[in-house]
Amino acid sequence: MRSIISNLMIICICALGAHAQAQDYNSELKGIIKVEVDGLSCPFCAYGLEKKLKKIEGVKKIEIDVENAFTLLTLLDGKTISETTIRKKVKEAGFTVRKIEEITDEGK
Amino acid sequence: MDKKKQCSFYILSLMILLWSNNANAQGPPIFTDTPIMLGLDGGGIRTFGNFISKENAKVYIHPIIVPYNITSKWQMGVIAPFVNKVPEGAESRFGFGDLKLYAKFQIHQKDGKGKTFRTLIKVTESFPTGNTKGNPPLGSRAYQTAIGLVSGYITTKYGIYGEIAYNVTSNGLADNLLYNLAFGYPLLPQKYPPKQLNLFLELNGNYVFDGIGNNLHLSPGIQYIAGRKLLFESGIQLPLDEPSTEGQQTNYSLRIGIRILIF
Repeated sequence: MRSIISNLMIICICALGAHAQAQDYNSELKGIIKVEVDGLSCPFCAYGLEKKLKKIEGVKKIEIDVENAFTLLTLLDGKTISETTIRKKVKEAGFTVRKIEEITDEGK
Repeated sequence: MDKKKQCSFYILSLMILLWSNNANAQGPPIFTDTPIMLGLDGGGIRTFGNFISKENAKVYIHPIIVPYNITSKWQMGVIAPFVNKVPEGAESRFGFGDLKLYAKFQIHQKDGKGKTFRTLIKVTESFPTGNTKGNPPLGSRAYQTAIGLVSGYITTKYGIYGEIAYNVTSNGLADNLLYNLAFGYPLLPQKYPPKQLNLFLELNGNYVFDGIGNNLHLSPGIQYIAGRKLLFESGIQLPLDEPSTEGQQTNYSLRIGIRILIF
């Protein structure tokens, strides 16, 4: 009985962890967003990424730094986008997201 | 310069460049396929002129290649070639060559910071649409199916590409094994939107079965990426090994081309 309870507790903790991670991906981001992109090894293929990210509603400006493997998304004032949306668009473009973070102008 | 000296010259030049330059990122190879199906290799029209100088003829082939990405991992495309053959001592012929349809499906992708390793399966079907009534014929008179793998390790500093395909033929033609290896190296500092000048050194092979023999070419090339949507390229194929009978040997094959992104 004790082992069943402990197993159930482990499952619950894992489920909560997974849920928390999913919640992170659904967090709304605003301002300037730095997206670290893996697989970004050629400037000629970065156009697809730029095109996909441009389709996200609320994106004002996109800057791609191929050498340092990241892209900066500047959102329109008052607009937010979810991390899930960004991850989806990057995947559709054929790349892999390493990290997404909201940054200030100074952090750029 | 004999063939061994030519080969040594290009390899030595490449090694000097690798040692002396520290620039970034390159485009797709000129004669070898790439596993990248993005940007100019995804939604772009590619066209080039191939001038083939043989001992007994001059041949000009001008294909138009239109790829279309169904998803980021699945691409289909069409290759429509125009052919002009000018044999020595005979009338020249011009017309449509054999139409090809191809499909690429990515089976492996491993991404890292500033690098990617990708592999795809490629199937190409060739249709005998070229006119074969006159002499010399503009088509092969045969359906051909090439099944192969295209792989590449591409970083922001260099790219290594490999391609192998077995081509099954019909109508009494011998099957053949196509194999290509390419190394790409950039000369200019990278930026986006891109302005890049890339150098390539490729080995392009075609082993024809039924005792016919091996064709191997050394192919140096240069490429200029003029922006997000435009690329110019040129390369020359120099024969290292060719089984053709005397008087029909290839002197060289020159390619000048352009890729334009439309989708």
